[in-house]
Amino acid sequence: MNQQEYTSPVVQMTDVSKIFGTNEHRTAAVRNVSLRASCGELVLLLGPSGSGKTTLLTLAAGLVKPTSGTVSLFGKDVESHAPGELQRLRALRIGFVFQNFHLIDSLKVIENVALVLRFAGKRRAQAKGIARTLLEKFHVGHLASKFPSTLSQGEKQRVAVARAIANGAELIIADEPTASLETKQGFDIIRLLHDYAKKQNRCVIIASHDLRIVEFSDRVLRLRDGMLTSAEDSYVKTLTTP
Amino acid sequence: MDLYSIRILRSQPLRLALTVGGIALCIILMLFLLSVYRGVADGSVEYIRQNQTDLWVLQRNATNILRGSSVLFTAHGQSIRNTAGVKSVSPVLLLLSGVKKGDQVATVFLTGYDPAAGAGGPPAVIQGRSVLSDHEIVLDEAFAAKFNFKLGDRVEIQDDTLRVVGISTKTNAFVTQYAFVTLNRAQSLIGFPNIVTCYLVTSEQGTDNSKLAARIRDKLPGVEVYDQQTFLNNNIREMQAGFLPFIYTVAAIGVIVLTAILSLLLSINILERRKDFAIMKTLGSPGSFLPRLIVQQALLIASAGIIVGLIFFFPMVELIQEISPEVSTKTSLEQIALMSMVVGAMSLISSVISMQRLRRIYTLEVFS
Repeated sequence: MNQQEYTSPVVQMTDVSKIFGTNEHRTAAVRNVSLRASCGELVLLLGPSGSGKTTLLTLAAGLVKPTSGTVSLFGKDVESHAPGELQRLRALRIGFVFQNFHLIDSLKVIENVALVLRFAGKRRAQAKGIARTLLEKFHVGHLASKFPSTLSQGEKQRVAVARAIANGAELIIADEPTASLETKQGFDIIRLLHDYAKKQNRCVIIASHDLRIVEFSDRVLRLRDGMLTSAEDSYVKTLTTP
Repeated sequence: MDLYSIRILRSQPLRLALTVGGIALCIILMLFLLSVYRGVADGSVEYIRQNQTDLWVLQRNATNILRGSSVLFTAHGQSIRNTAGVKSVSPVLLLLSGVKKGDQVATVFLTGYDPAAGAGGPPAVIQGRSVLSDHEIVLDEAFAAKFNFKLGDRVEIQDDTLRVVGISTKTNAFVTQYAFVTLNRAQSLIGFPNIVTCYLVTSEQGTDNSKLAARIRDKLPGVEVYDQQTFLNNNIREMQAGFLPFIYTVAAIGVIVLTAILSLLLSINILERRKDFAIMKTLGSPGSFLPRLIVQQALLIASAGIIVGLIFFFPMVELIQEISPEVSTKTSLEQIALMSMVVGAMSLISSVISMQRLRRIYTLEVFS
């Protein structure tokens, strides 16, 4: 696959800056970043802690609005989305994977996955059915009635990925998805995300400082002090084997 | 109902039990007050309600017998009797009096009436009979139970000794209870043989009672005449004026405590589940989802509180009446429905109060 095959961008940022705080407490988390991420590609935001990766992810998901510049999600400027519209986008078209999994401890595994399906408007029984199928596909079906606290780290992250893609999200936002995992578990998760991008033709944006992910990425955007240190298209990697 | 609401509550069983217990206690308190109010309301005016007379004649400016004084002379009775359209006139003398049994002294609302006149006596006698002679007395059942009076016992009032010949019901006015003696005995106790409190007038068939009242007023300028319903309403109003402010105050405190307990629990739950709520917001929970969780929790707790409250309420009332028979209560389905609605409304208010915390939960909190 090469860049020309990518379709219209899912996320497009143009000269985006995000400043937190006011007056002397102003901190520029992201400065003048432009990027685009399309269906079928896995984009890695690579950089050390504090480089602005997470802020860039939250901008890409429409969770925060830029101080300057424009962020376009699914072809529409986030500024022009009503709050309810962004919520619906997150429920229907965006999936999230977190470093600490962020499964809801008081819900069973299957209920965690079914929850996002309920957010998307599915009926309870239908949501549970889809969730069960997904969990089985991810080889954690036998854990469906367990509570997350009884799962291993790798199992938790598999469930989290299942939750992220349950609604067929067109955009997956993954924040340090391998940071809490052992090497093999980390690879497994990245493969799942990579497969999702390629086989389902979805867009996956991962923020990480884990260099192991580079080989799975179509593009790597290096960040330092809130700025891209490599131009968007300067690091294009064609993936031959996952 | 979302599973998550139930799971949140179940995750802290002790806290849930304490909260439900607190709410149940508030419900018991409020329901008890309502029941006492209804019991007192009925007990206070049942004497008037049951004495189905056509007109009540009192001293001018006296509107009721519960918290007003009226003094009329026996001569007034004769004038009323001679008024056209009057069938019968029953004099009644009401006075608060101490009753002694051994070392115990209690106050009764002593009602002197003329047994021969047919009205003014106890609304219902459940044991024994009404008084026939000046040395007899009929006591209220709650009063008799509290002081362990039985038929045939001797009662000391001032320097007289009277024999208990009957036990009446519907004569418990909570703060005091009615007791019935002959008019002569009551007059001799007060020391004025020509004094009565009021007259109960029965009109002849076909008489226009409003015209009869006007004729009595014209004849006796110092008196006021009320028809049965007006007089009953006057007394109900008077009873409410004396009792309702107290009921309202305690009930309001109960409602505030209930709302505070519930708001506190819901707020703590929100704070403890802050991360979960932030995750849900990030994952795209609809705007109504988290508020609905809070409302569901509030309603679950309130419902549990109502059920537990009702389970314990009736045995508790029985126990209280065992200990204090003069506490007259009357519980109805309407009261329970009213209480449930109040608790439901308070639980909704509590959820709205607690919901403010949801606004300060941000999606960014879930990112490392």
